Amino acid sequence: MCNPQGRVRRFFVIQQGGEFGLKDFFYTVKFKILLAVAVILAGSMAWAGANGRLASAPSQILSLVLTPVQQVASFLGGGLNDLTDKYLRIDAIIEENEQLQLENQQLREQLVEYDRIKAEYEAYQDLNNIRTENPDYTYQSAFVIGRDPLEQFGAFTIDQGSAQGIQRGDVVVSDDGYLVGRVIETTLTSSKVMTLLQPGSYAACVVSRTRDSGNLNGNAEYALQGMSVLENLSRDTLATVGDEVITTGLGGEYPPNIRVGTIQEILPEDSGRSSLAVIKPGADIFDLKHVFVITDFGQGEQP
Amino acid sequence: MTSRRKRNLTILSKWVVYFLFLLVAATLQSLPGFLQIGSVKPLFILPFCLGVAIYQGEYSGAFFAVLGGFLWDWTGGRIGGLMALGMMLVCFFAAMLVELYLRVNYINFILVTFACALLMLSTDFLFYYLMQDYVAGLHRYLWVVVPSAVYTALLSPLSMKAARFVAGRFVVED
Repeated sequence: MCNPQGRVRRFFVIQQGGEFGLKDFFYTVKFKILLAVAVILAGSMAWAGANGRLASAPSQILSLVLTPVQQVASFLGGGLNDLTDKYLRIDAIIEENEQLQLENQQLREQLVEYDRIKAEYEAYQDLNNIRTENPDYTYQSAFVIGRDPLEQFGAFTIDQGSAQGIQRGDVVVSDDGYLVGRVIETTLTSSKVMTLLQPGSYAACVVSRTRDSGNLNGNAEYALQGMSVLENLSRDTLATVGDEVITTGLGGEYPPNIRVGTIQEILPEDSGRSSLAVIKPGADIFDLKHVFVITDFGQGEQP
Repeated sequence: MTSRRKRNLTILSKWVVYFLFLLVAATLQSLPGFLQIGSVKPLFILPFCLGVAIYQGEYSGAFFAVLGGFLWDWTGGRIGGLMALGMMLVCFFAAMLVELYLRVNYINFILVTFACALLMLSTDFLFYYLMQDYVAGLHRYLWVVVPSAVYTALLSPLSMKAARFVAGRFVVED
């Protein structure tokens, strides 16, 4: 494979003085085609950026091919992930295993059929619990099928798209009904979800106990630990660690009374005029496998 | 005539198989939690496209990298064309570099993949983190971006093997 001179001549013209010239290389047809592709790509980016979209037409088409593969892989990958996860957390797993063996002793007499029915019942119960809290909302069940290494704030892809009624801006909650984020892009069969860890993902919230209001926002400093912040809290707020934070529905982008998480820490903001609360979301953003998308919550109503 | 048809069929089959491998690479790359250590996940699309570029030549590799880049744009939630453009340039120059100056072996491939992954991830980090004025940039760069490039490079021989396997199975006879 190492091949110096002959190969070099294909790209560069060797000048009389023995130096390489690039002239002929730039005039080759292949190079011109490559340049044209680069210009088309730049144009594609400009188009996508100007239209406020992430995906250009080629990406969208490829996503249609990739989504079914991701769905299958995500399903199969669950088992593989569990396996690697076990090796990475071996000490904790051993301890957990001992505990589970004790529990297993007590559960051994239960029938397998009973376990299956119980698991199914619990899955439906999650949805039922959320529906009981907000009976007017319309939910769409969705599985997480993609997380790219480039995603710095936990964004992910779900297996439901515009064909299932998902729209850009729809709110996403966890199985337990905790706020996860919003849909930022949809294709026919899949959607991208921006989480509440993303800086700029503002949501109007209040501290449930004290009714102190603030703006929930992502923060790059806390995002790695899976935390977000509640900004612009009153400086003399009575909120304390452990208080629950919920959405207010103000602005109409998020439905009211969706649980967000609990306060971990309260700090003075840099300006000194207000406080900032570090929030631990109730949903485990980096480990979600299944979510619900709220496709309709009666945006006209305000709390 | 038959020979020509056979030749075309071989070429077509080769690129179809490459595309299927690319789909697998994109799926593994975006599979939630797959080979994830903390916040670090390996890339699979880039090493595979590099492998294809090295075994199929810089031009074919560059065009194939555009396809891989579009897939990465989609899975990574980036503006369509950004990673495609980057991948095209990186694969083109990496293939040229290997062709002109380096032997094709695992060590060189790991080093080239590390350099390319670091370049691509750093560019993305520049556009989607530093230029957004997010805090703790150095911490994230040292603890997420660089380890991701290292992790990608360490696993890259798998991609190289895959690209070499396809290149070896579909040899076009002149």
